[in-house]
Amino acid sequence: MNCEEARQSLDAYVDGELELTRQLGMETHLAECASCQDAAERITTRSSILRINMPDYKAPPALKSKVRATLRKVDRPNPQWLTDHGWQIAAAAALVVCSCALCWTWLSLSPSKEKGLIAEAISNHSRSLMDSHLVDCASGDQHTVRPWFNGKLDYSPPVPDLTQAGYTLIGGRLDILEERPVAAIVYQHGNHVINLFVWPATDQKIDIDVQSERGYHFCGWNKGRLNFFCISEISAADLETFEDEVREHVNL
Amino acid sequence: MGEERRQFEETFLPFLDAAYNLARWIVQHDQDAQDIVQEAYLRAFKGFHGFRGGNGRAWLLTIVRNTAYSWIHKHSEDERLVPYEEEKHAKIISFDQSTREMVSEKRKEYLQNALLRLPAEYREIIVLYEFEGLSYKELASALGVPVGTVMSRLSRARRRLQQELSHIRSAEAVNEL
Repeated sequence: MNCEEARQSLDAYVDGELELTRQLGMETHLAECASCQDAAERITTRSSILRINMPDYKAPPALKSKVRATLRKVDRPNPQWLTDHGWQIAAAAALVVCSCALCWTWLSLSPSKEKGLIAEAISNHSRSLMDSHLVDCASGDQHTVRPWFNGKLDYSPPVPDLTQAGYTLIGGRLDILEERPVAAIVYQHGNHVINLFVWPATDQKIDIDVQSERGYHFCGWNKGRLNFFCISEISAADLETFEDEVREHVNL
Repeated sequence: MGEERRQFEETFLPFLDAAYNLARWIVQHDQDAQDIVQEAYLRAFKGFHGFRGGNGRAWLLTIVRNTAYSWIHKHSEDERLVPYEEEKHAKIISFDQSTREMVSEKRKEYLQNALLRLPAEYREIIVLYEFEGLSYKELASALGVPVGTVMSRLSRARRRLQQELSHIRSAEAVNEL
């Protein structure tokens, strides 16, 4: 290998991207040629200077929720889509009627545990609003609320701080779901209160898509060994965002 | 419905900063970069079925890059974004020794200016390689060129960057006299 050939692939050599045979050829050449060796060193130095000093742009905080909103929109077929595919919808509808009938039979035969859970959660939520017994521990600080649950429960519920996303922590409360004490973590969004129930998924992992009943929206999911269920008067979209935020801020 | 989107978000939202950074470097405008990132995530989500694991970061950045270019194609006749011309850009530039003495803040500023003066093709390959850490192979697939071209383009991009840095610094030196 002569100097001219070496210079052509010097960058790739420094980057560790040369094939083995050329790599060996390069090493032989560099051992004999001080000037090429010098050049290789300069490339290495510059590359590391560049990596350390390269100005980078951080995504603006709002971009994440914009991206999510865009994705959610395509994930839910919109009315335009409905009008474009009317006949397909009709065919699908027939199928849905049949499967609904089937589901209903199945449901009525085996009473769903989730149904009971939802009913309980709804009444817990509405009671928490009426009795002026919203929180046992009133604090906007996750480091106050989380330890408060210590000793009151046999697990330690996560208390994510979602202030940045517009969900303000107001405190924590003990509540009962399915005959066991659970953590109720309370947030505020606008004028509305959100109850987030958290408990160990010992016998059942829940997965409840956003639904509405008696003017409340709610949804439930499982992450790690815990079940999460949130309920509020806020819109379905806001509740979804809330769920996304909780999911993201809870590492189990 | 829902579960797939969540899986997609869990896989790809962590690369949001990288996606924005790349788009921002290519189009040099905040709002445009945001639009491109949104569009790119949408495209990526629609093509999620085609994603076979592997380097999700490189996969997403490829989509961001392609989206940025089709966006430029649609929206702008900006002169800074002129297509790459091998002849014009292939000049060999002499190295400059004193780069390492620069203090960090000044260096950042110089680098930023120098990068902005590069043709878009040089800028993006430097961002993708030095900053996002893509391999030559990943670069080749992201840029849609053979590995040999990646090799020569990156090498030229670095020399050109060095040249721009020298220009900026000598201009500064003249100002200080």
